Amino acid sequence: MTEPGGVAGGRRPSTAVPRAQAGNGRVASALPTFARSARRGEARTAYAMAGPALLVVGLFTLYPIAYALRGSLYTLSPILPSSYVGLTNYGLVFGSPYFGFALERTALFALATVPTVLVIGVLAAALLTQRFRGDLLVKIALLFPWAIPATASGVLWKGIFADSWGALNAVSFKLGLIHDYAPWLTTPHLAFTAVAIAQIWAQFPLATVLLLAAMQAIPHDLYEAAALDGAGGLRMFGSITLPHIQPMALIVALFETLLALTTFDLLFALTGGGPGTATTVLSYFIWSETFKMLSFGKGMALAVIIAAMALVLIAALMRLMPADALLGAES
Amino acid sequence: MTRRRALLIYPAAVAMLAFALAPFAWAALSSFLPETAILSMPPAWLRYGVAVDNYRYIFTGAVPQSYEIGGQLRKMISEEIRQVPRAALNSGIVACAVLLLNWLLGAPAAYAYARLRFPGRTATFYVITLSRLIPAVALAVPYYLIVQRLGLLDRHLGLVAVHTTLTLPFTILILALYFRTIPPAIDESAQLDGATRFTILRRITIPLALPSLVGTGLFAFMLSYSEFLFALLVTTSSYSRTVPVTLASVATNPDVSWALLSAGTTLAVLPVGLLLGPIWRFMVRGLVGGAEG
Repeated sequence: MTEPGGVAGGRRPSTAVPRAQAGNGRVASALPTFARSARRGEARTAYAMAGPALLVVGLFTLYPIAYALRGSLYTLSPILPSSYVGLTNYGLVFGSPYFGFALERTALFALATVPTVLVIGVLAAALLTQRFRGDLLVKIALLFPWAIPATASGVLWKGIFADSWGALNAVSFKLGLIHDYAPWLTTPHLAFTAVAIAQIWAQFPLATVLLLAAMQAIPHDLYEAAALDGAGGLRMFGSITLPHIQPMALIVALFETLLALTTFDLLFALTGGGPGTATTVLSYFIWSETFKMLSFGKGMALAVIIAAMALVLIAALMRLMPADALLGAES
Repeated sequence: MTRRRALLIYPAAVAMLAFALAPFAWAALSSFLPETAILSMPPAWLRYGVAVDNYRYIFTGAVPQSYEIGGQLRKMISEEIRQVPRAALNSGIVACAVLLLNWLLGAPAAYAYARLRFPGRTATFYVITLSRLIPAVALAVPYYLIVQRLGLLDRHLGLVAVHTTLTLPFTILILALYFRTIPPAIDESAQLDGATRFTILRRITIPLALPSLVGTGLFAFMLSYSEFLFALLVTTSSYSRTVPVTLASVATNPDVSWALLSAGTTLAVLPVGLLLGPIWRFMVRGLVGGAEG
């Protein structure tokens, strides 16, 4: 596609138009004709370039959202005729003791994993700011838990926690720490601990990388000045590093909370939400309501509720990000 | 390096490595052990020797010796694990298609957001980037119904479409950020020579942004290779299943054989293990500001 008046590069000739008037509809007519048609041509080019991607994302994002919102008002099931029921599905969800239980599990799960991921992330990032022999190898190996499929993580941790063939029982027995194999994955609170450990393992690399990025961005002369003032390593970590990485730590914490709310693959492979409902967090609850109970309407009501909770977290995330971080300032 | 520092750093590094790799190390070890050794009580993992029987079973179907105790085949054999190579191929095909689509659709879109002004630019950009923050499980039913209506159930194309939607926002965001670091003056002088925006993208921007293209491509590939929920919904037959679905299916069988499952899992994560170097080089290094490495 060619652009009429491409000479202007499509940039608004701001020197020709007084700034105070920019954006005013009346002023547009005062623009030289070539500039106006250039901008129209530019918009056409832009739509041609971004259109296909927008179409794909729109079809698979906006439409499903609308569908879920509408579907949550119906009794939908692949085996029964559907009918409009208003907000009944939401009433059913909020009235169900299982929903409350899943909510509690999810909150506990977030409480168990998010702070631990942060602490391990900070420690690991602090270690990786140091140069030592083999540091690159350590950094690359560190990515492993994050890079593999979460179902594979679930399987790997099943290898650790399984009772008859798990490595944990075998090693503890060998070391004389236990005399009977512990049924990790079939005892409710132990299974919950196991899932939390697996989640921490799968998530700490991302936290480490983000926090390491924040640490590397701290101006080096701050440390030099502190060293001149006789501050020790711990002191510098407390009064320079921690305050500087605080914004990133908050972002990581919110993002990890979002993940705790929606984690699914790992649970599916490791415990399947069990034993009983001990590890049934919200996302797994949606899954079992929808695809095991086959109540699509109720599942979508649940989905809307969980999406609303996520939106609150997302809004908080967005407020923490610098306003022009995504798109850049509209110069 | 002072002695005290070394005493602090190396143990910490070793501890971290152990934590990151221990579960895989156990799986990799048990994949070479006969089931008898794994189930031995008290544990004696190495008494029965090491063998490649588990892998041979996956590829050829030759039942490992330790399963034939007294001429009777143990029931616990996980036949489903033999689908792993096929599933890895499926995952690879889908992930490669997703990667290509990300480049084809993502690069022009990112260019438009980085360089051009058009009505709806900000709004659509936010829709694209924020769309990925909505929990996938919340959209599972609508996705399923859309794919079903398009007649793409149990077809790789259906999965490719879903995975492309999931990854495209990241690709556009990261490429747009990178494209903005290229001086616009280059584009403008090319325009003076009569080049169109598409030509500029192909001839100038993309060659200059190759590292970020590799990075986003890797990311799309990995996400697609790993994605489980939609793969589980969309691929219904064992013929079209991907790696995460096959692994989860074997692992949730209560009668699973860990010797075979660990061999299958080791095979399944191997491609990702090989990609760790490039992942560091093209996705992470720039982020953590490493002139090093």
